[in-house]
Amino acid sequence: MSTLTMDELVSRVERIPRLPDTAMRLIRVVSDPRSSIQEIVTTIRYDQAVTTEVLRVCNSAYFGLSRRVNSIDDAICLLGTAKVLQLVLSVHTQTLLSRPQEGYGLMPGALWEHSVAVATGCQLLTHRLELGDAGLLFTAGLLHDIGKVILNETVATEYAEIVKRVSEGGRSFLEAEQEVLGFTHPEVGARLAETWQLSEEINRCIRYHHEPDDLPVPDPRVDAVHLADVSCLLMGIGGGETDGLAYRARPAVLDRHGLSEKALESIGAEITIELKYVRKLFDASR
Amino acid sequence: MGQLVVDIADYAVSNDVDATLITYSLGSCIGVCVWDPVARVGGMLHYMLPESSLSPEKAKSNPAMFCDTGVPLLFRSLYELGAVKKRLVVKVAGGSQLLDDKGTFNIGKRNYLALRKIFWKNAIMIHGEDVGGSVSRTVRLHLGTGEVVVRSRNREVAI
Repeated sequence: MSTLTMDELVSRVERIPRLPDTAMRLIRVVSDPRSSIQEIVTTIRYDQAVTTEVLRVCNSAYFGLSRRVNSIDDAICLLGTAKVLQLVLSVHTQTLLSRPQEGYGLMPGALWEHSVAVATGCQLLTHRLELGDAGLLFTAGLLHDIGKVILNETVATEYAEIVKRVSEGGRSFLEAEQEVLGFTHPEVGARLAETWQLSEEINRCIRYHHEPDDLPVPDPRVDAVHLADVSCLLMGIGGGETDGLAYRARPAVLDRHGLSEKALESIGAEITIELKYVRKLFDASR
Repeated sequence: MGQLVVDIADYAVSNDVDATLITYSLGSCIGVCVWDPVARVGGMLHYMLPESSLSPEKAKSNPAMFCDTGVPLLFRSLYELGAVKKRLVVKVAGGSQLLDDKGTFNIGKRNYLALRKIFWKNAIMIHGEDVGGSVSRTVRLHLGTGEVVVRSRNREVAI
């Protein structure tokens, strides 16, 4: 078993690129139900790099607009606030999440794509399950696997032992992480969220996204992140070659929300269609 | 040598014997590889879900998303390139499952059964397969040789 302590592990946070300050501010504003859209727009407006990226995407061939989009306000008129927010948060997390995560067998860009897809799924589920604020869940979806960024090196070192337990021992990947490393990627992610002072709601979604039934009282937001994640794993969106589908699904989550197997299929289909759209958006701006 | 990437809910056919068709990250989805050794044409489909009845509207714009609309499309496209049904070599990979005792999330299994059903109805034989389990698979079809190679967690096999 790995002899690393959680503190040693989290000290590695200093070695991973930090999320930009505006991203942190935006995440806090988005996850606070009391904040207004205007506050959110203001947060974006003063970030030049992100404004540039958002405008580049809006002016890309993909939209084929007859006039140029010159400001964040224009972009919001064209795409709506929710889309622009998604775009901004996706841009912000791209650098951090796009590096290859060899331990998990994730190619460059795969973890980011998975995260964007789960965030998109969270947003669909926000409407479907009537969970209120979509911004918060989008963010939770985007960051749910952030622990993998820190745990990656350790997983790479213990790769053979973890794979053996998963492939031959019938363990889930989470159980193998726990047995071999002493912690799981949701635990490490939640600890990181704490260090970054993210809201308790986001922290809980990260911590329990694989184990929603372990909460003393079920949390519909955690359920939504679990379902979005499970749908993406099933559809193979940004799944790692090491962990693959070796996670336990929690059927009780479907029961709690009165969702059928078919509903799950629809969610998978919608995420895939939406992801193709997002991909085009980003490709078109390059 | 060209490499043609087949995206999720998409398909490709080709008669370029130097080309390789590849699809990444098959979870519960299924990759169907079909090859005609005489006409030397081949194709690959990466479908997501068993039945188009889930959403006829989505099936119309994305027929390759579903087994029952994607498979006929793949075969028709191959016939147009000169493939002949009785010569076709068919290989299948994917259909993975999450760890789930109740089988509620068994899209992979239902995807595979839908394919067996459509093949049985049309008298098409599966010549090789690597399906099930909890792995994510990458599949390659070499159009010159018809070789199908499946890579997953810690192995690479020709089927």
